[in-house]
Amino acid sequence: METFKYFGEGTGLYVMASILTLLFVVIAIIISRSSKKEFFWRLIIPVFLIEASLGFLMVSLGLPVKGDEVGPSVVPNLWITGIILLSVLIIARTLLGFEDKDPRWGRIGIVGAFLAFTIFYLYMIIYIGYYAATFLYLSISIYSLSYRNLKVIAGLTFGWILVSYFGFYRLLYVPLPKGMLIERIFG
Amino acid sequence: MDLLINLFDGFGYLAGWEPIVAMTVGVVLGILVGAMPGLSPSMGVALLVPFTYKMAPQIALILLVSIYIASNYGGSITAVTINTPGTPSAVVTAFDGYPLTLQGKAGIGLGVSLVSSTVGGIIGTIILIFFSVPLASLAVKLHPAEYFALAIFGLTTVASLGGKNWPKAFIAALLGLLINTIGLDPISGVKRFTFGTYRLFDGFALIPALIGLFALSEVFMRLEEFKLEKEMIGADIKKTIWPSIRDYWKLKFTILKTSILGTLIGIFPGAGATIATFIAYDFTKRGSKDPDSFGKGNPEGVAAAEASNSSSVGGALVPLLALGIPGSATTAVLVGALMIHDLNPGPLLFTERPDIVYSLFAACLVANGIMLVLGLMGSRLWIKVTDIPKKVLFPSILAISIIGSFAVNYSFFDVAVCIAFGVAGWLLKKYDYPVAPIVLGMVLGNLAETNFRRAVIMGGYPVFFLRPASVILLLVSALSLVYPFYQSYRNKKKANTSVK
Repeated sequence: METFKYFGEGTGLYVMASILTLLFVVIAIIISRSSKKEFFWRLIIPVFLIEASLGFLMVSLGLPVKGDEVGPSVVPNLWITGIILLSVLIIARTLLGFEDKDPRWGRIGIVGAFLAFTIFYLYMIIYIGYYAATFLYLSISIYSLSYRNLKVIAGLTFGWILVSYFGFYRLLYVPLPKGMLIERIFG
Repeated sequence: MDLLINLFDGFGYLAGWEPIVAMTVGVVLGILVGAMPGLSPSMGVALLVPFTYKMAPQIALILLVSIYIASNYGGSITAVTINTPGTPSAVVTAFDGYPLTLQGKAGIGLGVSLVSSTVGGIIGTIILIFFSVPLASLAVKLHPAEYFALAIFGLTTVASLGGKNWPKAFIAALLGLLINTIGLDPISGVKRFTFGTYRLFDGFALIPALIGLFALSEVFMRLEEFKLEKEMIGADIKKTIWPSIRDYWKLKFTILKTSILGTLIGIFPGAGATIATFIAYDFTKRGSKDPDSFGKGNPEGVAAAEASNSSSVGGALVPLLALGIPGSATTAVLVGALMIHDLNPGPLLFTERPDIVYSLFAACLVANGIMLVLGLMGSRLWIKVTDIPKKVLFPSILAISIIGSFAVNYSFFDVAVCIAFGVAGWLLKKYDYPVAPIVLGMVLGNLAETNFRRAVIMGGYPVFFLRPASVILLLVSALSLVYPFYQSYRNKKKANTSVK
């Protein structure tokens, strides 16, 4: 019990996460070099689910139980067991040829760039505020998708800023961040 | 009698300007969401939930349900005119709708789809009213063991409808259930899977997760495919002929039969509008004197698809309102909307807040009428929605998702959750894991867990096998687990026989 509790938070959690990550990387390398490399993602997703479930299981075994009552770990363990069993089944089905090969990746670079830009946008919100950051985010992202009608871009961007201001800030009282820099400059 | 009095009260509530505006706006937005390929009803409702935070619960629900109702019809507009179903359930509408357009009869397809949707929606709502009220009074008397069995039944039915990918659908449901266990334990208050982070004490907020899974995952998917071009209209719809009253009257039995069928299918968790349309279309085709004309522009095909599609909305609302069990992705989003207004869907809602339930029933009926009027007025206008460039639409959805997630708790952690769920949803969908069962698992998790533990505390583990209703529901759940095995075995056997 105490051993399992150790893995629940702090150093123990980092140790467990490191072991599981290492194991995951090793399995990923093995799959990518095996004859089943065309099924890489179909195999690695259930492997990830098994590992994540094992991590949850370790933590749940450390949860306190008084006597023979239905403790807080009973129900999660039920779901964890189901996930592990079904993931094993999916791995078996893939290895036995019941699954299709991995679909080809499309314009993954665009998705990656969008994601990175969205995360950058969140940082921009913190520093320059919601309105300025949104203006830059919307106009740059639409333009980068090769849409060139600047009037539409400007109309939509300003339109959205107005909707956010009146709809969310004024009507719904959502405290949209003003931005650290803006607050420092304008108080 | 009580039912009728309450229903009159519900209609009375709608007499104000706010509900009328909410329904009209909801119907317009719903038609636009449905007509726009790439936006689904669940996505539309999820994106609109943040706008309703400060609204009165009735108004918020009326708005969201109106969007749900109208989006199912909206999908048929692009299915008929450009052979691109705006929603998955409109696929069947395109079978006969688009051939009609190619024959210069787009008006017949659009008119029949609108009238069938309206009549189907009204019939579905009437069945909803007469089914859910007695079901809710029955549900109040359910033992926790039966409630747990009911939640499991809902989840297994949803997952077993995953077809070839049923193990993935089951995993998705279990993932949702497991995600739901993160946070403080609902019975003992013990911290579970919070990993020392106070932000996880309440678990993941449902709305950011929903927006991520439904809206962001779809945007990432579309961006990866990079199909951002505009769809072309197959024929000039301005010069088309429109159906007469006699044309509609000829379809009365088809509309009536498929509406009843659609509602009944909609009641089953997981079955939803898409399955309802396929079954209703097949049913109508088999019963037709001229089955060969189906798929070549038979208005009966459009009527069957659209009546069943719209009536399934009423069906899907039955388990949601009466039992608190959402049967579809959109109703799962509606649970989220109810929760943010401190309302718990389920039988107690009928006794504690009948005003909400009955105003919702009345709104379902009136929204269908508004949809008919707006549909007739703007059939040429709605198609213009396909002119919105996806290059503009997708960044806008990202911006709405971010402000929507932030508005839940004014926290960037929720925004991060939304993005993380979006990425996870995109990857899972790419490898055939459906995301709707994850949401259903997240919504039903608490119900399943608290009732499971209450039942065990009350009668020990055997309690689930001592109560007849619980035994039956668990048996049906087990059967729906076994059925995909049997189905794949039968298909394999059939394939072997045909090879021989």
